[in-house]
Amino acid sequence: MRIWAVAHNTFREAVRDRVLYVLVFFAAASIFGSKALGWISIGQDIKIMVDISLAAISVFGVLIAIFVGTNLVHKEIDKRTIYTILCRPMARYEFVLGKCLGLAGLLAVVVFVMTAIAAVYVFLLGGRLTSSFYLAALLIYWKLLLITALAVLLSALTAPILGAIIVFAAYVVGHATNIFINLPPQFDGTVSKQVLQALYYVLPNLSHFDIASEAANGVAIAPSYVVWALAYGTVYTAMLLTLAALAFEDKDV
Amino acid sequence: MDAIVTHDLTKTYQSHVGRGSVTSLDGLNLAVQQNEVFGFLGKNGAGKTTTIKLLCSLLRPTRGTASVMGFDARSRKARQRIGYLPENPYFYEYLNPRETLDFYGQLQGLDRSERAAEWLKLSECLDLATIADQRVRGFSKGMRQRLGFAVALVGDPPALILDEPMSGLDPMGRRMIRELILRLRDEGKTIFFSSHVLGDVEQICDRVGILVKGKLVVQGRIEELIAQRFHKVEVILHGLNETAAAALAADAKLARVSEAGRHFVYDDLDSANEAVRAGQAAGAKLVEFTPVRDSLEDYFMRHQEIES
Repeated sequence: MRIWAVAHNTFREAVRDRVLYVLVFFAAASIFGSKALGWISIGQDIKIMVDISLAAISVFGVLIAIFVGTNLVHKEIDKRTIYTILCRPMARYEFVLGKCLGLAGLLAVVVFVMTAIAAVYVFLLGGRLTSSFYLAALLIYWKLLLITALAVLLSALTAPILGAIIVFAAYVVGHATNIFINLPPQFDGTVSKQVLQALYYVLPNLSHFDIASEAANGVAIAPSYVVWALAYGTVYTAMLLTLAALAFEDKDV
Repeated sequence: MDAIVTHDLTKTYQSHVGRGSVTSLDGLNLAVQQNEVFGFLGKNGAGKTTTIKLLCSLLRPTRGTASVMGFDARSRKARQRIGYLPENPYFYEYLNPRETLDFYGQLQGLDRSERAAEWLKLSECLDLATIADQRVRGFSKGMRQRLGFAVALVGDPPALILDEPMSGLDPMGRRMIRELILRLRDEGKTIFFSSHVLGDVEQICDRVGILVKGKLVVQGRIEELIAQRFHKVEVILHGLNETAAAALAADAKLARVSEAGRHFVYDDLDSANEAVRAGQAAGAKLVEFTPVRDSLEDYFMRHQEIES
């Protein structure tokens, strides 16, 4: 119940913040604007629109996850609202989980609304979407949950700006972790190779959640792959949230 | 059983690497009895807020223990029994008082009907009904303080811990808070509060503790602490001639003239008695002889000077 109260309040705070609507407006504008790029690619307009729509959902979702997530705990400390919350009979992990859950709820609404806008727009323009499009949106949402958990962990450890930079770097590197494992022969036997290979296993591999090109081309996605990607995201997110709860447990506020 | 007990409670803040550490609270041993109003005094930086945060489990002690209503201050059971009002309380700006109390009611573990009952009780007690649907964003200091008290009282906790509850309030606001604290004491609650406003403390506290540089230098009943010595003695003589007046003024701490006569202020009873005898011998009449006891402020200032 206490987790729910904190989650509901976090969701309510974000919904009453105008910045959210500005971001959603730009995301919707990107989806509508995708038609313009469709015109210059003959016969590929629907494919381009699906591609851009999924990219818009991902990018604007990540922006919300990073900027809201890295401020989530820090803002409560900075504004001192945390004092009257943590002195209540609630565990600190309940507070961290509640904040995350609130942001996860907000992202669910944002991803759902943007997916619905894209689907209706493509339908009105005579296109047909396959199940791959909706599965791609689902995996983007799962990726956003992982990013949110990382942002909340950093929110408990460091200042929001530094946290945002680290999460953004992790987001960029997380889409390209394959380069750490497919190293050229010059790296053989070096310490750099061992470090980069260790990073490959430690950093989140966000490319697992990226099936936008399959969705754009209408290629069917194997259900087993989707289940595997969801499981990977769930385990990684749970691990980050556990670390966030531990980091916050003994923190002086 | 005492309501609040600390034993060797110490908090040291570690600075950045190479800059050492700062001890904000040093070996605090304190006992606050149930159903008393305890005033916690000290200058800025003396360690009052640190103590309060340790009692409310917002800070981890470096050493020592604290308990509230018989439970370790860090336990959920202790926090169930504490109502906390921080200095300059901050609440979610986008909520209104009704939503704010509902939120804290949920954190306290109250169900929907209990929260509705709490709103009815507290909105009446703290006059929140007229601002029930206004967002906190536009609230004045006094309105925030009333809401802060209401939040602290959600769930009817037996112990209230208040950090500077009168700071920044106008005389009406301070009076309202004073009356509220006394009413809560009459209802059986224990109230532990820090304050800079010594006049208010003197009016409502049963006992006080004075903290200087992180150490508790004294604790006890106010009347016992300030009754221990006279602060000054004021003598008023009527009909005193100029020569005698000049002689008495030479030994006095202060001398002035009013319609009642000539006023002389002495540091001790012996000097005052001597002045009365000399004045009467010179033909003057004794109008007033007033030994003035220490006020809490005098007592507080003297302790600050001693410790400095």
